[in-house]
Amino acid sequence: MWSFFLKLLRLMKVTLFLLCISVFSVMAKESYSQVTRLSVELKNTDVKSVLEEIENQSEFYFFYSEDVVDTERKVSVSFRNTDIEKILTEIFYNTGVEYKIVGRQVALFKGEFDESNLPAVQQQGVTGTVTGADGLPIPGVTVFVKGTTQGTVTDIDGNFQVSNVGPDAVLSFSFVGMLSQEVVVGNQSNISVVMEEDAIGIEEVVVIGYGTMQKKNLIGSVDQVNSDLIENRPVANAVQALQGASANLVIQQRSMNPNDNNMNINIRGVSTMNNNNPLVVIDGMITEMGSLNNLNPADIENVSVLKDAGSAAIYGSRSSNGVILVTTKKGSKSDKPIVRVSTMTGFQDPDVLFQPVKGYENALLKNQALINVGSSPKYTPAEIRDFQQNGDGQWFLDGILQSALQQNYNASISGGNETSTYMVSAGYYNQESNFVGSFGIERYNFRTNLVSQYGKLKLSALMAFNRTMQKAPNASTGFLIVDGSRIPPYYTYQMKADNGKYLINDVLSQFNPLGQLEAGGFQKKDDDNFLGSLNAELDVAKGLKAKAMVGLDLGANHRFIRGLEVPFYSSPTAEKPNSYANDTRPTEDYNEKRYILNTQFLLDYNQTFNEDHNVSGLIGVSNESYTRQANEIRMKYTDPDLGLPQSDTEIDPGSYNTPAQTQERSIYSIFGRAGYNYKDKYYGEFSFRYDGSSKFAEDYRWGFFPSFTGGWRLSEESFMDNYKSNIGDLKLRGSYGVLGNQNVDDYSYFTTYTVYNNSYGFNNDAVSGTGFDFGNSMLQWEQSANFNIGADATFFDYKLSVSLDYFNKLTSQILLTPVVPSVFGGAVAKENAGEMRNQGWEATINYHAKTGAVDHNVRLNMADSKNEVVDFGGNEQIDSNDQLRKLIREGEALGSYFGYKTDGYFGSYQEIENSALPIGATVEPGDVKYVDSNNDGVIDDKDRQVLGNAFPRYTFGLNYDVTWKGFDFGVLIQGVGKRDMFLRGELVEPFHANYSYVMYQHQLDFWTPVNPDAEWPRLSAPGSSSNQNNWGRASDIYIFNAAYVRLKNIQLGYTLPKELTAKVGVQKLRLSVNAQNLFTLSNVSFIDPESTEFGSNMGGTGGTGANSGRNYPTLKYYGFGLELEF
Amino acid sequence: MKFLKYSAGVASLILMLLTSCNDLDLAPTNKFTEANYWSSPEKANMVLNMAYSQMYNSGYFFSTEALSDNIYEGRGSSSEKIISSGQADASNNRFANEWRDCYGGIKTCHTFLENVDRVEGMDEDLKARMNAEARFIRAYLYFRLTTWYGDVPLFETDITLDESKQIARTSHEEVLAFVRNELDAVAAVLPTNEEYSEEDNGRITAGAAVALKARTYLYSNDWQNVVNTCEQLINSDQYGSYSLFPSYEGIFLPENEYNDEVILDLGYVPSLRTWGEYFDYAPLSVGARVNQMAPTQELVDDYLMMNGRTIDDANSGYDENDPYVRRDPRLTATVVYHEFPWRLPDGTIQTIYIKPGTAPDESAEVDEYKGQGTNSTSTGYYMRKYYDPQSLASFTSGLNLILIRYADVLLMYAEAKNELNQMDENVWNSTIKVIRERAGFSDASALNFDASLSQADLRETIRRERRIELALEGLRIFDIRRWETAETVLNVTPHGAQYGDPSMDNGYIRLDKRTFNPERDYLWAVPQSQKDLNPNLGQNPGY
Repeated sequence: MWSFFLKLLRLMKVTLFLLCISVFSVMAKESYSQVTRLSVELKNTDVKSVLEEIENQSEFYFFYSEDVVDTERKVSVSFRNTDIEKILTEIFYNTGVEYKIVGRQVALFKGEFDESNLPAVQQQGVTGTVTGADGLPIPGVTVFVKGTTQGTVTDIDGNFQVSNVGPDAVLSFSFVGMLSQEVVVGNQSNISVVMEEDAIGIEEVVVIGYGTMQKKNLIGSVDQVNSDLIENRPVANAVQALQGASANLVIQQRSMNPNDNNMNINIRGVSTMNNNNPLVVIDGMITEMGSLNNLNPADIENVSVLKDAGSAAIYGSRSSNGVILVTTKKGSKSDKPIVRVSTMTGFQDPDVLFQPVKGYENALLKNQALINVGSSPKYTPAEIRDFQQNGDGQWFLDGILQSALQQNYNASISGGNETSTYMVSAGYYNQESNFVGSFGIERYNFRTNLVSQYGKLKLSALMAFNRTMQKAPNASTGFLIVDGSRIPPYYTYQMKADNGKYLINDVLSQFNPLGQLEAGGFQKKDDDNFLGSLNAELDVAKGLKAKAMVGLDLGANHRFIRGLEVPFYSSPTAEKPNSYANDTRPTEDYNEKRYILNTQFLLDYNQTFNEDHNVSGLIGVSNESYTRQANEIRMKYTDPDLGLPQSDTEIDPGSYNTPAQTQERSIYSIFGRAGYNYKDKYYGEFSFRYDGSSKFAEDYRWGFFPSFTGGWRLSEESFMDNYKSNIGDLKLRGSYGVLGNQNVDDYSYFTTYTVYNNSYGFNNDAVSGTGFDFGNSMLQWEQSANFNIGADATFFDYKLSVSLDYFNKLTSQILLTPVVPSVFGGAVAKENAGEMRNQGWEATINYHAKTGAVDHNVRLNMADSKNEVVDFGGNEQIDSNDQLRKLIREGEALGSYFGYKTDGYFGSYQEIENSALPIGATVEPGDVKYVDSNNDGVIDDKDRQVLGNAFPRYTFGLNYDVTWKGFDFGVLIQGVGKRDMFLRGELVEPFHANYSYVMYQHQLDFWTPVNPDAEWPRLSAPGSSSNQNNWGRASDIYIFNAAYVRLKNIQLGYTLPKELTAKVGVQKLRLSVNAQNLFTLSNVSFIDPESTEFGSNMGGTGGTGANSGRNYPTLKYYGFGLELEF
Repeated sequence: MKFLKYSAGVASLILMLLTSCNDLDLAPTNKFTEANYWSSPEKANMVLNMAYSQMYNSGYFFSTEALSDNIYEGRGSSSEKIISSGQADASNNRFANEWRDCYGGIKTCHTFLENVDRVEGMDEDLKARMNAEARFIRAYLYFRLTTWYGDVPLFETDITLDESKQIARTSHEEVLAFVRNELDAVAAVLPTNEEYSEEDNGRITAGAAVALKARTYLYSNDWQNVVNTCEQLINSDQYGSYSLFPSYEGIFLPENEYNDEVILDLGYVPSLRTWGEYFDYAPLSVGARVNQMAPTQELVDDYLMMNGRTIDDANSGYDENDPYVRRDPRLTATVVYHEFPWRLPDGTIQTIYIKPGTAPDESAEVDEYKGQGTNSTSTGYYMRKYYDPQSLASFTSGLNLILIRYADVLLMYAEAKNELNQMDENVWNSTIKVIRERAGFSDASALNFDASLSQADLRETIRRERRIELALEGLRIFDIRRWETAETVLNVTPHGAQYGDPSMDNGYIRLDKRTFNPERDYLWAVPQSQKDLNPNLGQNPGY
């Protein structure tokens, strides 16, 4: 793909150069001395300094003999915008010194001008060859004599010839995608130049909506992530690979469970209370987030992230959350097929961040908690001694986790000739679960990308198939973790007896997680996905192309659940089980078929008029149809061996046929773009989309989404010439547009009646009941007015490039279920009511440098977004889940944490007496003191305040790659600068609500009279008034600082010298070692700071999570990789 | 725009011709819409069924008992636990949920009442009956509301969103008057329990309307009206025919559902519409998960001896070391105590060992009292009443939960008669005596009317009888509130069995203190969230 582009660009470059030459030849009619204006203002200075000043300001340089010209003579000069002849005439007036200007050279002499006074003007001719690092000649390289209009391009063999240059002349070599080079001519007559590829070349091509664009001409806010950031990383899917890769592409991995790979993706933060998921487009086809996860990361050529209205509006009603464009790899026109084989294999170690205290300590602490509230201790001194003497047993959590193997294999073959290219790949990914038992995920990927050119017609067929197979425990991750972690490590507790019986005990009385994992059955999934598109592209006329595409994203998913009955015994010798897991012996099948059909036609026009006027236009129509159907059959009391029905088998009433789970939707669209730029200097662009969606009633179905973008390449202005040659490129850009969001449930505009089976019973017969949901036929899109301003600049010869963006989005008509008083009796219809503002910035800094044989590449991105609810109908909504309170209030960020502020712990009875207390509370020193924010002498609802927000802010990613000879080394650091995290449950509260029986080491710094500055309040047994006071309220005791920096990936590779490998026909052989999540710096020691209870919309309206910290552990990966290329 | 729309139309047509795109007019396949819902009596009936399901539920049925002195919650920090510890503020979830659920049910009733006429060709008698059922459910819900919150918004037709943000509360008296009027009206329309066909077992009857009305008077201490209303059921068959079921234990067994004692119940169906609260109430050795809550010693102590005497009576024969013998047989039907004979689904008996250190083997040991904050009982007792021997895995039960039964009517009648100072042997014999006989008492001293008892003595006797007869049926909290004894019995440290620290409270397990503020807690708070949305609601004193 890349080399294909290079070739294309080479051709374009030649044309461009020829154009330039003609421009220059026009300009050359005016000589340098005539067009150059100088301003010199110097008082009482010697002549030498004046001449130096002129040299500094211009490209003139002076030749003279100090014998002839008195340079010590003092003069005073004052010139503004004056040409050089006038200045020199005045300086040397009446001195007899005369001057002669030849190009940029100025000779000062007395009397007759003698050619020999200008030794440097001796002309010579230079020839040479330009080759690439591979030794092959590069045609079309621009060769300029620096500071002149002189220049040429290399021919097909990379040869060039420049005549009439002096030994001081500097030749500048430049080519698209290569680092520019300068060579001093000196006395060489033949110069050989080896060009090197430039990863961050300004002439990079970026994929945008329905097309591509040269990076220098890009005026939208688009960030492109190239394959080098995605390849060679042991990630489970493409989304994981994108974490930290682009500014304000905020990805939160909610769980590291391979069977529950839950990711939040936000582009530029939270802009609506509804769905904040970006639109995913793969090879031009609009699909779903799931399809992105199904891609083989190794197949990805690049990923473009469209962030602003200017670039995203062409996707209209679904673009307001940004767009992710994925392009897969195509073959290149190399006759010889390129075969690549790679593998990555490693281990994932579960990193549990909390540990229980020793058993006897735990018993002591439990007693203390009871005694503190006036209850009798639970453990006798004898029991405690016993625990101490016998030591600890295995902590259950340790007993259900293990290291797991992760493997990744990829093979591809690509190639092509002048008319067609191909890329065929296969991949296999296997990640074992870290739960004991044999669980995990496997994925097979196959892809064939074919591109053929038949004269004016180009046909592409891109087809990918993948199968994902999962086997997960038949128990929820949270329950497994919590049942493993709430248990003290007493030696008396055991999960499995020597005789194989699974045991329960007095604190884990239902079942234990080991039994569930080993014997409780499984949930198997096999998901087949086909993603394919056929594209035709026809050159209709000069600059005009017609394109057509039909794409299909087909998913056929199956889930099979077997729950196996597991008996649990109270002792190894017990005859009769005390309890069973899965005593209903469920067998369940779920089948789903889902397809998206995408059809589009478009006309694409690109033309340059009068050499300066670049015009582009695009108009298209499309349809996207989505259909999903599912059915599910669940049986209870099935045969324990085969899961077949037997005589007492029951059909679970939750079973359903296809009509119960059928979803259809459709969007018809017209879209277009018109762009104009003058001399690659001034840019203007208009794009729009007009969408009609089945989600809305007929009269409100169609929405129009326009955007305007402007850009100015400041550095192309002549007054910036100096800036450009000394500093670099500078571009300003801005856009404004209206984007849409239609991510609401289908059929929301209907008032619907849903029949629920088995709602009630008469005479022991179940009857159905009907519930109703009100619809609003006036529902419409959400609209997001989107303003963006940005700048792109390069420094140090493109070594350093910086992009800055500021955005401000106002989303209105947010589809909201209004806050309804309960008296109304139920949910009212949704309406277009809410308004949110979201603003922020992004900075992307890329640096590429080469010092000797060491090649550095640094990519840093930083970003922030801050949202605010502007209009919520004057209401506020507090959603709660246990002690979590989440607030939607005008003026605050969406879903802010809400509750009481704590003010440390009571130090004395006197302090208690003088403090406001919650209603009915009886507290003791060491209990939590709350802030009486309204000073009314009582702690009640009115004292609650906003306590923080869980959306990540100041996110950043830093990628550093360095290569030296055959070695390469890379690190990816990723993090969040500001985030609050609500965490409740046993990880925070010791002996949580009598559901937990253990204290963890991080909880030991609790208040006692001798430890008054403790981190935690005094121990108090659950149920007591103190416990209710300390832990029963929504307060900031549950809120933690979740900022972090994580060493996400670190990699060291070595590529064997080609001379060595080529002997056995191997073009490339690279070995690498790799580690992930090796190191995290965070304020919370006992939980992964990335874990969050919220999805990408912060729970929206009404949704809450309550993070109990019962997360799958963070996984540390250690592995190695091997890459081969033939 | 017109042009765009036109061209979009043309383009759509082209696209549709070329591929099989979906149309833009798509209707749901898994739900009905206004266009096709109100088309048959069956569909209308399904809305009514939904209203039935919203009348009450098993969660409230059992957790309400935890608000009273009969039950102690040993685990978690439920809303009820916070209420009983006196720390509830206006944001308490139970306050918010009960309010929400009642008005949710009222909405369903109004939706039914206001749309049922859209069904064409519906039998008028059937429609009248169904209307009456819906109105009963609405009255039941308003009664629930006004009992907890006092003044509540009252409206008789569906309200708009705007109205719901402005509506003020109607006085408790007016709400009660509305409820009673409605019950009178529907009692005249509804069939009696005998008139319904068998398949309609569980539908609301005329008798239910009368009995509920009696309860409304009872909760107002309006004794004469209690008497008058109860007599409509006791002395006449006009509103149906009811009698005590011969076996106390049998009332709550699945094979005896819809017996003649049941006036109103919640309909459950095995494995289809079920409840499973006993998973967290029953002894662990018989398959429960944990013990969420358990009966208190105070409840157990209130059970009489077989001789009709209280245990603190010197002549009762009560032995603190063998406390569960010769007791009112209803204790065994209600509470699981040490060495309780638990009948397993297969009919065999398993002894429950609760006293620490008594279990003969490890599988029985899980039920033993192990202190506070453990999985086993926190009081030394487990719950028994409403355990369904036919329940499936995880105690999934289809057993109906009785909301009003005939014994309650007799007890209401006895109490009202005594308050009117009209308790005599006749009344006694037709109420307390028959209830005790049914319970299994045989001693004359327990059965016969004692004319020497004062009105106050009888009050104590009747109240105790009511507590014991109706224990764990979710009614106790309403009784102690209307008697205004809540401030006494809920302002104490409750106890468990005598397995505690011998140096404290004579060895009876001391549990967390309850608090009841008489200035505030006789009414629940208007939920804070609701007050925020509608300032016209006001608030009850003290919140």
